[in-house]
Amino acid sequence: MQATLSKRINELLVLAVLERGPAHGYQIALSVEERTEGAFSFQHGTLYPILHRLETDGHVRGKWGGEGRRRKTYELTDDGRAELAAGAAQLERQFRVLLELFAGTHAA
Amino acid sequence: MRPEHPLADVERSLAVPPRRRLDLLEEVDADTEALQAELERRGYGPAQARRAALRQTVPGTETLAQLEAQHAPPLNRWARRTGWIDRAERLGIVVATGLAGAVAFTTILRSGPLGSAAVLAWLQVIVVALLAANWTRAAKHLWVAGDLRPDLRRQLWERQIGLVVLAVALGALGAAWEGYSAYEALAAEDFAVPAIGDAVRRIVSCAALGFGAAIFGLFGWLAITPRLISDETIERRISAFFTGSRLTPTSSTRR
Repeated sequence: MQATLSKRINELLVLAVLERGPAHGYQIALSVEERTEGAFSFQHGTLYPILHRLETDGHVRGKWGGEGRRRKTYELTDDGRAELAAGAAQLERQFRVLLELFAGTHAA
Repeated sequence: MRPEHPLADVERSLAVPPRRRLDLLEEVDADTEALQAELERRGYGPAQARRAALRQTVPGTETLAQLEAQHAPPLNRWARRTGWIDRAERLGIVVATGLAGAVAFTTILRSGPLGSAAVLAWLQVIVVALLAANWTRAAKHLWVAGDLRPDLRRQLWERQIGLVVLAVALGALGAAWEGYSAYEALAAEDFAVPAIGDAVRRIVSCAALGFGAAIFGLFGWLAITPRLISDETIERRISAFFTGSRLTPTSSTRR
């Protein structure tokens, strides 16, 4: 459950960053860290399996570019946009339930 | 001694097809360089920025395992799912060896009594089976593991060629043996025509068996050659990548 939720959050974080425009892997990692104020960060290249999985699933599109030297840029697809909206809504529901539960615990 | 490139370990341990390996190396390399530049802009010193960038981008063991699972060939994924991954090579070898051996066995039976060279003909069955086993091993690495490294490829090719040469030699030896034995028998029978026909048939059978085994070995390898060539081309690009990478190998990056 924990691994699944964490994996899901990581995927949605990447999609959320790419919603602002295409980015390289390192830009995505930096952007996630900045936008979440350090609450989330990707270490040791853990971003690559996430990006490659999202690419295989059709949620992002990887494009090789660069002159003389290849560099990969990722961009969000329409499928990815829909996935982000659905995923964000689902997470919101889950967290609302969790927060209500925790609020109850504190009150007690 | 020249220090290793920071991604050399990744290249060595990542068991995926060369195309995928090259893509990942180029992606990580470009990201590391860009991240290093970004960190330098934020006030890090060059060495400190490089170390930090490498720590961020170079995939660790667990990540490499995930990447391997993601980029494995479809046959590999199926074998993992069904639990056949550990048995795939052995099963392939048993099936290919059994089939090849059965074909060679049937050929010998159909060609009739081989006379004094029969021992050599039966040795051919073993050679054919070994050729099939060697080929299966190469095919397993290419289509199940997805990764046949140059050293192993060379080793398997040398074994295949050695077996082909052995098959030809056994065929030639068998034919010579039959010829020699037949000559003595024919001389005793004043070279009667039916006896000559029988002797020629035996000689040709032995030679054909050796030739057939050699063709089987060579054509088997020929069938996987296109994939070997394309893999080798990419392996050369991987070598060029390590030579041309701007991510200079220094001992300070290996931590």
